[in-house]
Amino acid sequence: MIFATPTKVASHSGEAVQYLGANRVPDLQRLFQRSDGVPVHLKRGVPDKLLYRTTMALTIGGTLYCLVALYMASQPRKR
Amino acid sequence: MARQAHAYHMVDPSPWPLTGAVAALLMTSGLAVWFHFNSTVLMTMGLALLLLTMYQWWRDIIREGTFQGHHTPPVQKGLRYGMILFITSEVFFFLGFFWAFYHSSLAPTPELGGCWPPTGIIPLDPFEVPLLNTAVLLASGVTVTWAHHSIMERERKQTIQALTLTILLGFYFTALQAMEYYEAPFTIADGVYGSTFFVATGFHGLHVIIGSTFLAVCLLRQIQYHFTSEHHFGFEAAAWYWHFVDVVWLFLYVSIYWWGS
Repeated sequence: MIFATPTKVASHSGEAVQYLGANRVPDLQRLFQRSDGVPVHLKRGVPDKLLYRTTMALTIGGTLYCLVALYMASQPRKR
Repeated sequence: MARQAHAYHMVDPSPWPLTGAVAALLMTSGLAVWFHFNSTVLMTMGLALLLLTMYQWWRDIIREGTFQGHHTPPVQKGLRYGMILFITSEVFFFLGFFWAFYHSSLAPTPELGGCWPPTGIIPLDPFEVPLLNTAVLLASGVTVTWAHHSIMERERKQTIQALTLTILLGFYFTALQAMEYYEAPFTIADGVYGSTFFVATGFHGLHVIIGSTFLAVCLLRQIQYHFTSEHHFGFEAAAWYWHFVDVVWLFLYVSIYWWGS
């Protein structure tokens, strides 16, 4: 990472050499400030939607699994 | 198009509080199911849900602040208050364990031999690895301060180097503690000495890992140009947390390792 920095020549060191990638923040600011009514957790489109659906599936599935497990756990066991 | 006439942040509807609450439900009931029925499925689901919730919730906060500009000065002030209050609550959390330690060590019972360390306990030498650990964390406090000044002075490369060094020191501490835990001549089951030692230092170690993770996220954000010389509260919050972790260690070192030997 550090060795990938090109050697600085005095005459070239006007503006900062790109160290570890370009600045994509202005592009992202444009993307996330689009007035499309989409909430921030889905604003990036497909990857956001996939992650959200996975999370929700785990939430709902997990709740049901939990209720079943708790129901079973509350049944008395024959000694 | 309607514009808000105030500087506060009215957040978009978000599913993460719900998913976080369900994660807590699954982890706690999963713990009970693990204890009674020897199955870790429910607890693992809860853990996965917790990680997904944390990732997406904090990702959204970064989007709202860095990309959408919602973190105006009054909003940032609220975030500062929030972080201070959270760290204060953690101070009280550790206070409890120090209370427990001093309760048992200031008046050792006859069952312990009437002395501290109790009879039969070989304490760790405070001037060996524990002293090194102290030096490591103090050094990391210096490097994180160096990183902060570098951010404020718009020194990109130095910020990245100082932050990386801080994180490496954090990992070094964790590795040294793990080795100490493995090599220790006493265990958590060795009476109240073992309990107080491992619970207090164990929770501290967990906080070191959390703090290192927080700093690592800040490093990634710094590389991606999220922080400006004027506005970098995420980093400041991580630095505050890191200093807190360092201070807790100093108390642990003086009380349990040094006085307690």
